[in-house]
Amino acid sequence: MSTSTSALVGTRWVELGLALFTAALGGVVMYGSASSGIGWDDAGPQAGYFPFYIGLLMSAASLTTVLITFLQWRRLSEAFVSREAFNRVLKVFVPIVLFVASMPLIGLYLASAGFIAWFMWRDRQRPQPYGWMTIVAVAGGAALASYLIFALWFKVPLDAGPLGDLAALARRMLK
Amino acid sequence: MTEFDSLMQGMSLIMTPGHIGLMVIGVLLGILVGVLPGLGAPNGVALLLPLTFTMSPVSAIILLSCMYWGALFGGSITSILFNIPGEPSSVATTFDGYPMARQGKAAEALTAAFTSALLGALVGVLLLTFLSSRIAAFAMEFSSPEFFAVYLLAFCTFIGMSKNPPLKTVVSMMIGFAMAAIGMDTVSGDLRLTFDQPWLLSGMSFEVAVIGLFGIGEILCTVEEGLVFRGEHVKITPMVILRTWKKMPRYWLTWLRSTLVGCWMGITPGGPTAASFMSYSLARRFSKNRENFGKGELEGVIAPETADHSAGTSALLPMLTLGIPGSATAAVMLGGLMIWGLHPGPTLFTEQHDFVWGLIASMYLGNVVSLIVVLATVPLFASILRIPFSIIAPIIIMVCAIGAYSVHNSMFDVGMMLVFGALGYLFKKLGYPIAPLVLAAVLGDKAEDAFRQSMLFSNGELGIFWSNPLVGGLTTAALLMLFWPLIARGIKALGNLKGARVQRAAP
Repeated sequence: MSTSTSALVGTRWVELGLALFTAALGGVVMYGSASSGIGWDDAGPQAGYFPFYIGLLMSAASLTTVLITFLQWRRLSEAFVSREAFNRVLKVFVPIVLFVASMPLIGLYLASAGFIAWFMWRDRQRPQPYGWMTIVAVAGGAALASYLIFALWFKVPLDAGPLGDLAALARRMLK
Repeated sequence: MTEFDSLMQGMSLIMTPGHIGLMVIGVLLGILVGVLPGLGAPNGVALLLPLTFTMSPVSAIILLSCMYWGALFGGSITSILFNIPGEPSSVATTFDGYPMARQGKAAEALTAAFTSALLGALVGVLLLTFLSSRIAAFAMEFSSPEFFAVYLLAFCTFIGMSKNPPLKTVVSMMIGFAMAAIGMDTVSGDLRLTFDQPWLLSGMSFEVAVIGLFGIGEILCTVEEGLVFRGEHVKITPMVILRTWKKMPRYWLTWLRSTLVGCWMGITPGGPTAASFMSYSLARRFSKNRENFGKGELEGVIAPETADHSAGTSALLPMLTLGIPGSATAAVMLGGLMIWGLHPGPTLFTEQHDFVWGLIASMYLGNVVSLIVVLATVPLFASILRIPFSIIAPIIIMVCAIGAYSVHNSMFDVGMMLVFGALGYLFKKLGYPIAPLVLAAVLGDKAEDAFRQSMLFSNGELGIFWSNPLVGGLTTAALLMLFWPLIARGIKALGNLKGARVQRAAP
């Protein structure tokens, strides 16, 4: 997908890429359905009977989009996103990826607090940068609030601190 | 039992301090997600869903539906004060709402928006009260082919009526169907599309997709546009409210027209967004102050808001009676119903009498509670939007991540949320609609069951979908809807041809 660093990509390339991706996805669905059987047996239609046509429709519609993209090749030449705007997107998306990647390692609470703190710390170009007290208060407060609301109030256990989490992870890996 | 008796029974069920408290919480949370960028009614409901598993279904649906009403109201706050629609369905409200706010008439615009929203919603609920049992009784006669034909009609309407390119709507919808198919096949019990990957065994949950597509995708789009929240200030006083209420009766015709548009679009899967746009353009066409539209005309606020809310509430009519949601949010709620172990569809009215009438009764009360709460809290929520983006954005993302995690207590789902987030960003930029994906992901299994049952009855003959007038009519209507853009173009071309001939014959 467009997480590559080559900014200023034309709309046609993204359009083409996404359509090819969904066409391939349709192919995967068809392949998967075919292996569960797309015909009939004693009990009626087999498990892959319905999804096969889903995959077929997905691929067919995507390939037609590919065709239309080629037909409109010139008209779709405008930039998909400007370099500057895409930088802004990456500046948010990459931290989210890191945040999500760190969650299994250090637990939801630490990861969340760190994520919020980093976001606030980075925003230094504002007229009055946040003091570290504010950062700690907001980041810690948000993590604490999510503990109170989810774990205590609604009894939805969240993957907690590093130790408990590492133990759980180790147990899951041993299994 | 008449509808009125049932309604009274429902009222007595929900008139407890606990339920009214849940309503207020739901409305407040709803306004919050409606106001915040990146969070909207569909993913607000999806985020809250895991928290409702321990509640009784009646309490759970009160919480979720009130969140829906709150989000619809919240969407208008940002539209009017900040020129930023919190929900796609309140885009049309910005056209005249924001100019009014710029002229210092924000309080008037907000009061008019909320009041017409309430009136629109109440008509939707009335419709639900008096039509739903009848439709459900009628649908009791349905068997699998009829049900599949109804599903087909819903999906084809999406493709034919959407303003997005039809092929892209198809692709989005098929991704939803494919998601629904992953995991255990409900008929044979076989595993399918899992490719021997353990993380695919339990299937993919639509909640994660909703949170990613609507939440993360929306945040990325917001960041790209570099939005800055610079809003108008507002203070709502009882005097302004009364003054605006005195002005409103003169717009009764606009209100009536918008309600009709809204109810129609809500019941058919046109959805609130289409309803609000349509109602706005109709109001402009028929208004005496046509040239003032877009410059701060009160009528331009009343029309889209009324239609938006009457569509939002009447979207629950097909959801409850037929099991077909009329909007993305209704689709998520339908998914919730299934998770709570209820079977949406005509049998709900006989088997879960208390649940249905509790919900309908709560819609009357919930909308009135919403109006009171929203009028009282506008300044508070407007100030939330003035919190810097660098604080509010990471908190929203954290809430999304926790929400995705809590669906199945799985980190894998959080990763999936990210994938759906990137997909949502691309989808939005390239004009792929998201709602069909959600609808298909929720309804996929049911549609497939209906289709396979029908095929079993007929031994694989598609003719069964024309085997009696009812199912034949539904299937034909579905195909008409599917090819509507082509048909409309054909009719237009014919008209032009005729016009040309008449012109040629005239001299």
